[in-house]
Amino acid sequence: MTKITPDELDTDFQFGPDGFARVVFRGRLDARTVATCWDGLERRLRAASLKTLEVDASGLRFCDGAGLALLRYLSMRLMTPEAIVSISGLESGLAQLLRGFTSEDYAAFRPPMRVKCRSLPEEVGSEVRRAAWDLREQIEFLGSVVGKLPPTLLDRRQMRWPEVRRVFELAGANAVPIISLVSILVGLIIAFESAQPLAQFGAQIFVVNMIGLVMVRELGPLLAAILLAGRSGSAFAAEIGTMKVNEELDALQTLGLDPIRFLVVQRITAAILLTPLLTFYATFLGVTGGVLVALGLGFPLPLIFHQLSSTLRLSDIGLGMAKGVVFGAIVSGVGCLRGLQTLQGPSAVGVSTTRAVVTSIVLIIIADAIFSILFYFLTR
Amino acid sequence: MSEPTEIIISVRDLKVGYGKNVILRNVNFQVRPGEVFVILGGSGSGKSTLLKNLIGLYAPLEGEVWIEGDNLVAARGNERQDLLRKFGVTYQSGALFGSMSVLENVRLPLDELTALPEPLKELAALAKLKLVGLGAAAQKLPSELSGGMQKRAAIARAMVLDPRILFLDEPSAGLDPVTAADLDLLITELAHHFGITFIIVTHDLASIYAIADRVIMLDSRSQTIVAEGRPAELRERAADAWVRRFFNREPDAVASGLHL
Repeated sequence: MTKITPDELDTDFQFGPDGFARVVFRGRLDARTVATCWDGLERRLRAASLKTLEVDASGLRFCDGAGLALLRYLSMRLMTPEAIVSISGLESGLAQLLRGFTSEDYAAFRPPMRVKCRSLPEEVGSEVRRAAWDLREQIEFLGSVVGKLPPTLLDRRQMRWPEVRRVFELAGANAVPIISLVSILVGLIIAFESAQPLAQFGAQIFVVNMIGLVMVRELGPLLAAILLAGRSGSAFAAEIGTMKVNEELDALQTLGLDPIRFLVVQRITAAILLTPLLTFYATFLGVTGGVLVALGLGFPLPLIFHQLSSTLRLSDIGLGMAKGVVFGAIVSGVGCLRGLQTLQGPSAVGVSTTRAVVTSIVLIIIADAIFSILFYFLTR
Repeated sequence: MSEPTEIIISVRDLKVGYGKNVILRNVNFQVRPGEVFVILGGSGSGKSTLLKNLIGLYAPLEGEVWIEGDNLVAARGNERQDLLRKFGVTYQSGALFGSMSVLENVRLPLDELTALPEPLKELAALAKLKLVGLGAAAQKLPSELSGGMQKRAAIARAMVLDPRILFLDEPSAGLDPVTAADLDLLITELAHHFGITFIIVTHDLASIYAIADRVIMLDSRSQTIVAEGRPAELRERAADAWVRRFFNREPDAVASGLHL
């Protein structure tokens, strides 16, 4: 018998005739020693087609949950399915624990092996149903906001203008640095990239016309709206979603306050007032970026202004601002709706913010397409 | 650097707080192995802050926390990691990971910290779940469990690595009396049969009488321990009138500023 340190486990195998084997554990059976002796046990016991397995645990000085798990694994014949297994010499408390968890328990509590997989039609059906339900909720929400916006706006007491001001500052004033950076860079990049192909036709000066039109009619409103969706639409969803999870929305309702009048109207009002301003600012900086490139190409400033003023009509600027209003309403409305739709659970608020941003951006692009078509027919 | 073995936790001259805001000072106590030790105090007395200092989530402003002969406050690196594994903690809300099933929650420490083979991890985790009476709920998500079941699942997770010490933060908060009594029973069972030492933060009087071997009482006015002893002793003859009032659940309308 070899001498072992108290921290170690000694495993001794004895094999006899007629598929008999005996395993002697001595020392410490814990998570670490179990992990190290496991491979040896698997190799020696599983391979030998055993009829009888005796486990001698009388030499164990320490055995924890992991050690018990190993003894259970052996005694449940999971390693040697053919053999009759007996465990002897276990200290009485541990033996009681070992008996406390049986093969029947194991079979009953184990996770089911098969993974439930839905068929394609089932999947498609449930997705369509979900999408239809979501559309229905969006329409209901739109209806109730449109219904409640005017009376709330007219009622000074209900409107909570300080809240509107707070949202205005958070979503608007605080967004100015990021909008400045993104817009001016986008203006610079587009002008710079298009200057080279235009130079082949000797038409470099038209960089100014192009950047003016693109920024005023398309990119200014889009940039402002997408940044608003990322910064503030998500924040609305998270704020309202957290309130929902914390039962604050329920508290509002039982106090006789309507969440739409109390929370949503203010945010939508602020966003509708705010987005045209942000749009104007983004457009201005985007065009500035283009102008900087034109200056860099050597065109004089008066010529650049002449080009701009000859291309841009007032209706273009009006279109940009109108888009701003609509995009603002979309972003804030979707953000609030997703917040109100928040379910229970730890990941619910995260899901809501993601859905808010994704839905906002999709709806912004769709609205933009509708604007383009309308504008084409109106100005033909 | 070694402590006498009959003391499992020793707290010396602990001063806890946030920056300049001291919440408790001169905190000294010792816990014996297998004891159910309760930290008690009114709302805002710094119970939870003290607990977070004891388990190493916050660093105390001053003082030492000795766990099984090692000072947790001074320990760094691997030594600290080993020390942290000597105890399990459950939090007020249970703090089960919501995206994992109960079994996965309980398995997690085994998965991350041991090299056990897969089937043994599952067996060990299921055995712990059966011990707290949750075997049949192994496949459920935490959100599908009742409050009491969540607390028990959290205890199973805290003890899956077989620590000798368990810290419980308000185990009976938000539970009905029957469920709370079940939980008390589980705690005393675990303490007596497995020799697990419990350090429990609570202000549930009924549960204190049922489980506590020894109690320390914190007070926000004197910012330290105002009483220590067996719960029945303290109820009968604590030196401090406020402590007696607490144990007898008498109102203190004047002090709390109620004018009815």
